[in-house]
Amino acid sequence: MKHPVPVAVTGLGCICAAGKTLPETLAALFRGERAPAPSRRFATSYPTPFPVFEVTEDFAGRDDLLRTSLLALAAAGEALADAGWSRESLRPLRVGVCLGTTVGSAMNNEDFYREYRQGQEPSLAPIRRFLHSNPAASLAKEYSFDGPCQTVVNACSSGSDAVGLAGAWIRAGICDLALAGGADELCRTTCNGFHALMIASDAPVTPFDRRRKGLNLGEGAGVLVLESEALRSSRPARAFLRGYGAACDAYHLTAPHPDGAGLKRALREALTEAGATAQNIAFVNAHGTGTVDNDRVESRVLAEVLPNVPFLSTKGYTGHTLGAAGGIEAALTVACLELGKIPASIGFAEPDSEQRAVPVTRTTTVAGDLAISQSLAFGGNNAVLVFGRGAR
Amino acid sequence: MDIKEQLKKILVEELNLEDLTPEEITDDMALFGEGLGLDSLDAVELVVLVQKHFGVEIKDMEEGRPALQTVATLAAFIEKKRQG
Amino acid sequence: MNGMAIQGIGLVGGFGCGRDAFAAALSSGAAPTRPAPFAGGEIPALLADTAPLTRFVDKRALRRIDHFSRLALLGAHLALEDAGLPVPERARLGLIVATGYGATATTFAFLDTVLDGGDALASPTHFSSSVHNAAAAHTAILLGITGPNLTVSQFEMSVPSALFAAQGWLAEGRVDAVLFGGVDEACAVLRYCWHRFFPEPSDVIRPFEFDRQSAVPGEGAAFFLLTGDSGKARYGRITEVRQGNAAVRPPLLDEALLYLLGADGHRECGASYHRYLPASARCAAYAPSYGSLPVGPAFDLVVAGLVCRDDRLPSGAGGEALAGRELCCLKFGRGEDYGVIRVARD
Repeated sequence: MKHPVPVAVTGLGCICAAGKTLPETLAALFRGERAPAPSRRFATSYPTPFPVFEVTEDFAGRDDLLRTSLLALAAAGEALADAGWSRESLRPLRVGVCLGTTVGSAMNNEDFYREYRQGQEPSLAPIRRFLHSNPAASLAKEYSFDGPCQTVVNACSSGSDAVGLAGAWIRAGICDLALAGGADELCRTTCNGFHALMIASDAPVTPFDRRRKGLNLGEGAGVLVLESEALRSSRPARAFLRGYGAACDAYHLTAPHPDGAGLKRALREALTEAGATAQNIAFVNAHGTGTVDNDRVESRVLAEVLPNVPFLSTKGYTGHTLGAAGGIEAALTVACLELGKIPASIGFAEPDSEQRAVPVTRTTTVAGDLAISQSLAFGGNNAVLVFGRGAR
Repeated sequence: MDIKEQLKKILVEELNLEDLTPEEITDDMALFGEGLGLDSLDAVELVVLVQKHFGVEIKDMEEGRPALQTVATLAAFIEKKRQG
Repeated sequence: MNGMAIQGIGLVGGFGCGRDAFAAALSSGAAPTRPAPFAGGEIPALLADTAPLTRFVDKRALRRIDHFSRLALLGAHLALEDAGLPVPERARLGLIVATGYGATATTFAFLDTVLDGGDALASPTHFSSSVHNAAAAHTAILLGITGPNLTVSQFEMSVPSALFAAQGWLAEGRVDAVLFGGVDEACAVLRYCWHRFFPEPSDVIRPFEFDRQSAVPGEGAAFFLLTGDSGKARYGRITEVRQGNAAVRPPLLDEALLYLLGADGHRECGASYHRYLPASARCAAYAPSYGSLPVGPAFDLVVAGLVCRDDRLPSGAGGEALAGRELCCLKFGRGEDYGVIRVARD
């Protein structure tokens, strides 16, 4: 394993149920606010409506793109402004886009398919919209970028993987600047899928708690601006991407490895890349979906690999935003590292008997120059990002 | 066909256990692990199949776990729910 | 940077299963189409049969694995088999799947359960296999590949885009080898959409008639075992991967290269080849042998690999000698986005 050069993070953007911008989201987290509720945009026929974390923005008048792409555009716009880049100033650069998603790449329009099954001639508009809405491509098109363009579809680790992969693009000189993260919209089809798997809760999500009943789905986007050192020059960085580890459980399609084999390996690799040990880690933004299996395995691995390192799950505030989660959580991780504190892991009250690591229950001051954001996914994917403090 | 026979047919056909016939599944064979070798994804699929074929709802895995032990336990659960 | 050496190739498609079946289709110039149905009609298509997979995986293990994942599994097994021993250590092996559309048939099978039985009867099995990375997950599980695992979905650019990740993993020492593949399926709903978008069916792709819509839906998988070593590459070496948008900056296309065009009979993309290729560039196109599908560049990369091995073009194209030239797989998408994969013989 080599020690890759750290890559500067110069801008952050985030939109989710907790806030339409990163500052709004952070303020809600530190106020301890959350408001999961049944979706306003679609209905399901379950006896109890499942609460979700929905973004209030409706993007009225933008029928040309899927909501996922519009969420990505919102977060990317914020991140670029934060880094001080205008559309014009980006024009001479080689800019790459690497975004994770699940819904943004799935052709699953129910109305279209129902009419097809009934032998009608459904409108092709949903198909056209799908073909125009590849998240990375629609962002590249919006800004007329001419660099590498990649939509990562690694289920729930997509956003974290996208950030790690884009870091390698910068190091290899494939582009000068990369927009990296994830975006996903709430979708009836996905909700039905998670209900069918019996891992969605009909109450507000309680990550790592003894009585946890499953996840609440959410939506949003989180985007980081990554820059080469040559481009960044003397401008300050908000943080540096210091390590990335990815490994596969190769165990089961929907269940994590009981000992967290892939997560442990991903953590070890990310720490090695960063040249760090557990003592250097200020905090961990855990995956913490609130499902029985995920939280059991994750807390077990945290207790073993990063004992006594404070951790939280921000999914208590944002819901599980699937392909966006890694992007949103990376942005929140960097912001909390700058602030030197993390909010309470909302929803957690009591550990279960076999749990050796418990999340923070109040706003907690954290010390150290490094922080971790980690994701576990369907298919046994695990992705870990290590961020180091910048100087802004 | 009684519930147990129906269940065996459903197991083979809907979980695609092509290497087995319904007759080869005994009432007391463990569905998971050793035995039929089903897993957690089959368990949630079975919950849907029980609802679909018998109109019986298994609300969560707390309720599901004791019922989903063998064909016999599942049949008993279905009968009890139907009467209750 | 040593580039990426292609050490093994495995593929399945409308032409059949394996390198020899593909080589035969290349020699004859095209694979024969079959009528493929959708609700209310049919169109000619090049569909793939995954029956040979039972040679590698027992039936029980396949019980929950759909056509899309079977295509990937078959391609992956064949590529590893072709690469031969020693089998790379599975913990140091990365797995990458590129797909334009993902597991569409299973996505619609999942919607069937919802539309037939209501939300409460949604099938968790179909849902979990409809996720885009299901094929990569099944492949990792059945082959025990515990290295990094990635699925990329970038429509026509899926293959060149995903190759960046293979390049990065090898260059940064994250893995010793990458099992890399492109997979797409042409399900009934896709065929229906095709029929609606292009009402006049085509039976054979005419790749060089750039202003004529002649695309025929294809499906299949093409996999490669890629290594970063500087030893002998069995099928040549990927020396450069590039992605861009010609509408933003016209691509620099060296006229000395031998181009394998991804032109597959889509008029919307065809114009770009005409506009941006140097007039004197030597070009070939092989979509008539594998069909029109987003991951077509994976099949062009197989052609490039075979050309490097044989030092000449397939006999159907006159068997022209490579004569020291480098190959360039070039694909244009719908919005003048393009992907370039350069391949050189050792």
